Amino acid sequence: MAIVHEFSIAEALATQVLSHAPEGARVRDVEVRIGALRGVEPDALRMGWDSVTFGTPLAGAELTIDMRPWSIECSNCGRAWTSSVPFVSCECGNETPTPHGTDELDLVAISVDKDET
Amino acid sequence: MEKDGAQMAGSKQTVRVPIAQRVLEANDEIAAGTRAELSRRGIFSVDLIGAPGSGKTALLEATLRAVAGRRRPAVLVGDLATRRDGDRLARWCDRVVQISTGDGCHLEAGQVRDALAQLDLEGVDLLFIENVGNLICPVGFDLGQTAKVGLFSLTEGDDKAAKHPYLVTAADLLLLNKIDLAPYVRFDRAGFEADVRLLNPTVPIIDVSAATGAGLDAWLDWLDRGGPVGWRAG
Repeated sequence: MAIVHEFSIAEALATQVLSHAPEGARVRDVEVRIGALRGVEPDALRMGWDSVTFGTPLAGAELTIDMRPWSIECSNCGRAWTSSVPFVSCECGNETPTPHGTDELDLVAISVDKDET
Repeated sequence: MEKDGAQMAGSKQTVRVPIAQRVLEANDEIAAGTRAELSRRGIFSVDLIGAPGSGKTALLEATLRAVAGRRRPAVLVGDLATRRDGDRLARWCDRVVQISTGDGCHLEAGQVRDALAQLDLEGVDLLFIENVGNLICPVGFDLGQTAKVGLFSLTEGDDKAAKHPYLVTAADLLLLNKIDLAPYVRFDRAGFEADVRLLNPTVPIIDVSAATGAGLDAWLDWLDRGGPVGWRAG
């Protein structure tokens, strides 16, 4: 629990990563995929991640964030594109194309150092 | 390693391990348990999400007053530091649990489960969960509620729906509070609704005033009908 939701997400993520990391393996990278609806600020999430992993076995692990954008669809001209913000105008002049966002918040993969055998 | 002379210089290799799991899976599992338990007991539950000062507690006070003797409500109220909201609501309802979240900006499923364990739910048919005042953080955390209700108010400005798309998209109902102040504040009601409709074409919007009671009948009717889908206990 923390004052911004990025910190709560970072805490949940750290717990989850630790449960998947092989015993004693050093975690180099953590890949997450986040839908636009979540309203997550990548910088805030990185800050939260650095903060919750500080002094833990996960310290130094990089966070690779795949922010899924808004899909924008213009009902006027049929054009479709992606955008980092939901409310945008279309080239055709339509000021209210329809935004569609998704709310996934997934741990995609982790990269760990393994001792050679 | 010494015996394998052909190995690379480093003693480590980096391996990518695919996982594909929801980050909030642990929260969601607790919420699913709560949902099943509330459903079994026939309790219709509302997660009330709104900004600080939007009138969440005032709305619940007016609601509890209105359903007294007709419904048997219980209330969980999340707050950062004080017991004030819980004390206000306890005047109208004998089943109130205050959840002090400390530095937490939202409720999580485990807190709701633990708070429910402190309540005698026998006979209860309506549960309100007043979330921490915040339009962003609470939306993504499933608590096990039947319906999510977003509360906006005239004094916050007409751009708040557009600025909080997750709540607008996820809500089963939007309430627009403080409509008694319409003559005094600048609020583009049509523009507000147009923003909502772009994000969520179907969510009902009910204008209310917790202060004067205006519009409360429509809200109470929505509750009595069991939300948007005529929810019934499973």
